[in-house]
Amino acid sequence: MATRANARSFPAALPRQPDAAPAVEVSGLSKTYASGVEAVRGIDFRVAPGEVFGLLGPNGAGKSTTIGMLTTAILPTRGTARLVGFDVVEQPLRARGVSSVVFQEAVVDRGLTGRANLELHGHLWGVSASGLASRIAQLAGALGIAELLDRTVDGYSGGQRRRLEIARALVSEPRVLFLDEPTVGLDPRIRVELLDAIAGLRERVEMTIVLTTHYLDEAERLCDRVAIVHLGEIVALDTPRALLSGLGEEVLALRVHGDTAVALAALGAHGISAAEALVVGQTLTVPLHDSSPADAIAAIDRAGLAASAISTRAPTLDDVYLRLTGAELAAA
Amino acid sequence: MATATATPALGLRVVRAPRRAPMLRALRTLAARRGALTAHNPRQIAVPMLTPILFALVIAPALKTALGGLHSQIDYTAFVAVGTVGLLVPLATTFAGLSVIVDRDSGAQRELLAAPVRRSLLLLGNLLVVVGLCSVQVVVVIAAAALRGAHFHISAAGVGWFAAATLLFVILMYAVAETLAARIRTAEEYIGATPAIAILPWFFAGALFPISVLPGALTWVARFLPLTHAMALLRYGFVDPTGAGLHDIWGLSSTTASAWLSLAVVVAATCALGALALRAFKRSVVA
Repeated sequence: MATRANARSFPAALPRQPDAAPAVEVSGLSKTYASGVEAVRGIDFRVAPGEVFGLLGPNGAGKSTTIGMLTTAILPTRGTARLVGFDVVEQPLRARGVSSVVFQEAVVDRGLTGRANLELHGHLWGVSASGLASRIAQLAGALGIAELLDRTVDGYSGGQRRRLEIARALVSEPRVLFLDEPTVGLDPRIRVELLDAIAGLRERVEMTIVLTTHYLDEAERLCDRVAIVHLGEIVALDTPRALLSGLGEEVLALRVHGDTAVALAALGAHGISAAEALVVGQTLTVPLHDSSPADAIAAIDRAGLAASAISTRAPTLDDVYLRLTGAELAAA
Repeated sequence: MATATATPALGLRVVRAPRRAPMLRALRTLAARRGALTAHNPRQIAVPMLTPILFALVIAPALKTALGGLHSQIDYTAFVAVGTVGLLVPLATTFAGLSVIVDRDSGAQRELLAAPVRRSLLLLGNLLVVVGLCSVQVVVVIAAAALRGAHFHISAAGVGWFAAATLLFVILMYAVAETLAARIRTAEEYIGATPAIAILPWFFAGALFPISVLPGALTWVARFLPLTHAMALLRYGFVDPTGAGLHDIWGLSSTTASAWLSLAVVVAATCALGALALRAFKRSVVA
């Protein structure tokens, strides 16, 4: 069970008002299901045109419910959400007309060919017949599935199917692209391939991307800004760099044999930022700031406690998340 | 503490109108998708026709020989051939409802729901394919029965009654199937419910014999089944211009009045069940 050594509040921050109208504008958005579960609790954020925005949190944090509301599959209980100015409740057809979704699960017609899946999307989104074929060829080439297009999707590998889904979402040239946990359940090689494809999109296509993930490396690699979501609330919102900077350049991780409260007190007594230390079971993660690892280890040693599995590393968003919520993303 | 930072703008574009397919194009696309998934090889087209052809070519003549017919001017082979429509339509529509569950379970429905088209078009697209499939099956069974020697009484007005009753009955049964598919979560449960929905009413609706030969209480049950009214209209159109089946239901002297009353029953049931299906579908796809 994780505990938070530092109980200070870490409020969500809204981005500075962008110059252009936001591509995504969410205000006080909440969802309480009929079962009484409050999945999303009054979240606010804005995403600028062209920005890649990440919703980071564990399963059950409310990310997919948020995406569901933005894509009009789930009705908000309170609050508003607009895509390129179109209210998702009042103008759902227009909101869907400027967006596309790549879903968490594989969502394709497996009995149809890849090309038929792409054409279906193009037709439903009103892409002109004259431009559709060339658009499909262009996307299939860019995503490396040109050779597969006339095969039924049943025969695609997981990675090929994912790339097909991304191509499909792009057929309509959406202003806002939602990627809901796009790499979950994929093997590492396919995941790397897919991250590369998504990163490539950023370079080639002008569109706003809203990405949900519980993989920190994805968020760090792809997102301009990240909102950390916990129990339906945004507990932090900033660039990955800014979020990480609060923990300094280096953290020390070690396993304490004994009372961790005693270890924290010892660190504090020696001027090491014990208030920011994170405790998960017997493992302490201590932001070092101006201290050295040796100082920290010596402090614990002087308290009569032994330490093992000692390492230093750069802080990650996992540390940030742990500090904010007392829970670890990977374990959640 | 998190700090607000400038939002990166990677490039602003001229605001375009949202994309949206014209309704007819969207409907055509959805129907084409359902058609491609329902009948993308010859086996998928041929197999659903085996049962109606078997009824027309084998079972109806065999029953006629075994039972000696209806002892009236109505040809029993034609009587049963039309009665077969009352079985094949519910079977075709309930299996089409199963494809809705497959769409939902496979996730394909989510992509359709994210499209900028009215969600009722998803139902309508499926319905168009079901209407097409049932039309082919009905034509095949009537043609097969005719080739086997069944005697039909076909007139322009009769074709009108037959076509209207068939179309309404297909819509009605597909509405039932959609409602079930929206409310039942698994394909296994849905398949379990199929006999009660698609087959049981057929035995009470006068498919193989007139409802007047049923025990009195069951005759009354039959009068409340939309299938009984639909089947009486089908026979009024193609088999029995005197409308014996309609008289069994209404007991009126006027065949035309009875036909209009039965049509009104089928229309009312279709509207009510259609509205229910739409409501159930919308409730099932938006949390």
